[in-house]
Amino acid sequence: MTFFSGIGTVLRLELLQRVRTRAWYILLGVFFAVVGVVTVLLVLALSAFGDAVGGGVLSTIIYFVLLLGTLVTPALSGNAVNGDRADGTLATTQVTQIGTWQLILGKFLAAWISALAFLATAVPFILVSILVGGVGPDVAFVSILVLVFELGVVSAVGVGLSGILTRPLFSIVVTYLVVAALSIGTLIVFGLAGVATQSTVVSQSRNQDFGSYDSTTGEMTEVTCSPWQTSTYTTPRFDPYWGVLVANPYVLLADATPTRFDEGGNPTDLFGAVKAATRGAQIPPDLEPTYDDCAPEYGTSYPTARETIEDTVPGWFVGALIHLLLAGGLLVGAWSATRTPARRLARGSRIA
Amino acid sequence: MADWGIEVDGVARSFGSVHAVRDMTFTAGYGSVTALIGPNGSGKTTLMLMLASLLAPDRGSIRIAGHDPVTAPRAVRAAMGWMPDVLGSWSSLTVRATLEITGRLHGLSREQTTSRTDELVAQTGLTALAEQPTRVLSRGQKQRLSLARALVHDPRVLLLDEPASGLDPAARVELRSLVRRLAAEGRCVLISSHVLAELDEMADSAVYVDAGATASAERISSARTSLRQWRIRALDPSAIVPALDAASIPRERIDRDHLGTLVSVESESDAARLLDSLVRAGVPVTTFAPVVGDLEHTFLDLNRVSTPPQPPISETETLS
Repeated sequence: MTFFSGIGTVLRLELLQRVRTRAWYILLGVFFAVVGVVTVLLVLALSAFGDAVGGGVLSTIIYFVLLLGTLVTPALSGNAVNGDRADGTLATTQVTQIGTWQLILGKFLAAWISALAFLATAVPFILVSILVGGVGPDVAFVSILVLVFELGVVSAVGVGLSGILTRPLFSIVVTYLVVAALSIGTLIVFGLAGVATQSTVVSQSRNQDFGSYDSTTGEMTEVTCSPWQTSTYTTPRFDPYWGVLVANPYVLLADATPTRFDEGGNPTDLFGAVKAATRGAQIPPDLEPTYDDCAPEYGTSYPTARETIEDTVPGWFVGALIHLLLAGGLLVGAWSATRTPARRLARGSRIA
Repeated sequence: MADWGIEVDGVARSFGSVHAVRDMTFTAGYGSVTALIGPNGSGKTTLMLMLASLLAPDRGSIRIAGHDPVTAPRAVRAAMGWMPDVLGSWSSLTVRATLEITGRLHGLSREQTTSRTDELVAQTGLTALAEQPTRVLSRGQKQRLSLARALVHDPRVLLLDEPASGLDPAARVELRSLVRRLAAEGRCVLISSHVLAELDEMADSAVYVDAGATASAERISSARTSLRQWRIRALDPSAIVPALDAASIPRERIDRDHLGTLVSVESESDAARLLDSLVRAGVPVTTFAPVVGDLEHTFLDLNRVSTPPQPPISETETLS
């Protein structure tokens, strides 16, 4: 038996035992129906805005699969190791020629594959979005690739924690907490830290005093400028914290995916919108703005989404690296806690 | 090539402050059945886990078929089959699939696995259930599946932890003959059970453990030579006691229970002499047998004279 054929046997066992149940197929059926309804509604709703709505549909479906995948995967993977221990089937596997790494990796792959079943279920609708038009092949390819990666990260976190923690319920809950920390926690940290960090803005402005009609001369009085006025106020600073967002799976997915723009410089899909919004956080606010009404060319022009994205740096690879280290670290931890012959046991843990 | 299937020398293992196994030393040979006997919490299962290469000992050395489970777990696992006392099975898999997957996990080829599975399903009497998912099996059927799983890779050393619990009498008889057959094939079988009468009929030798230590040979032989009760029944029960008086058995060695008259004698030869004198005295003896089996007698006697057992501690209880 080679290393990989051993993993294959564990994988087969896991898929037969853990995944292939009636409830699982019902869940996939419900998911299929929900994505179907969402796709139809999106196509109808977005058609009001133009022809090439495929990008919007595709990005919504991908986000939907990411949401459901990260909601279901912890329940499937979070008890992969300690659940077997509770059932009394872990030790029977460990007294065979299967090594600890083969066991852990086989369970990880099984969890990953079962998460990918959701993506496979959504494939017909992804095809619909491509047929509708307006989807760049690079957009579809990269976003699906990142989705697959993210589902793998959640699977690895679940399997890793199930090896490290003793109680199945506890490890499932902790896996959910990790997913929540990445998906929602990063947003909360970003928002709170930004609001907590206030900077003082000193704003200079002067206004045009419009001339008034002089009834005695019948002429307009001269247009004059008011003296410069200084006002001081505070503004929240988000730019030091944009790095927090790179670990958010939804931001990471949007940030990594190439963006298509329309003529106005606006993104054509949800990824682009998320990307522009989060990239905008990198730009520090102007702390000494001047508003001069008397200047010949007044009126501030805001940068388009395209300009924002092109002027800022991508952070997805940093996020991906963080996720990779998290997933890998937890798998190594699970390996270390599951090694046999065991030298140390957690309190109250059963090895059989 | 090792002469012994199992060699255990001065093995100790503690969990925190709980010394589950303090000092165990014994050997078990090929072609024989060795019984592992001890009260609850005496460290039997902890020892089994160490022999099964799942738990590393703190001290001492273990050899399974000549290999050290700590340094060469794969070699040990190839030579050793373990039937745990916990009845776990993959509930969605059929009996056949369970055995096939186990064979594959042991590194057997597909063809080897298939033929071995057919063989074991028949041998353990699970043919009718082969295509059923294991969750529908009864406790006794799961027990048989567990034994079949331990035998998939044709191991030379077998560790059976409480294999008879939950089996009906007919299945126990089958298990006994199966275990004897496995030993006759040259395997080394170590078997732990609480049903000592049954081990009596199966085991060639016994290892007694108490409070994490194996009993020494001297203690065992002194326990064996201590007084032992024999039960006597006759067609005319009233004739027994006068005949015992005539054979000058002191009255304090005579007792009664609902089945017959109990007499304490020191050895088997004393028992034979007593039977002879009863028959000569014309007592119509129908039953003349020890009240408890050899193993049980030794076990109970060792417990009586041994140091007080360790207090049961929850951490050791959760270890199996």
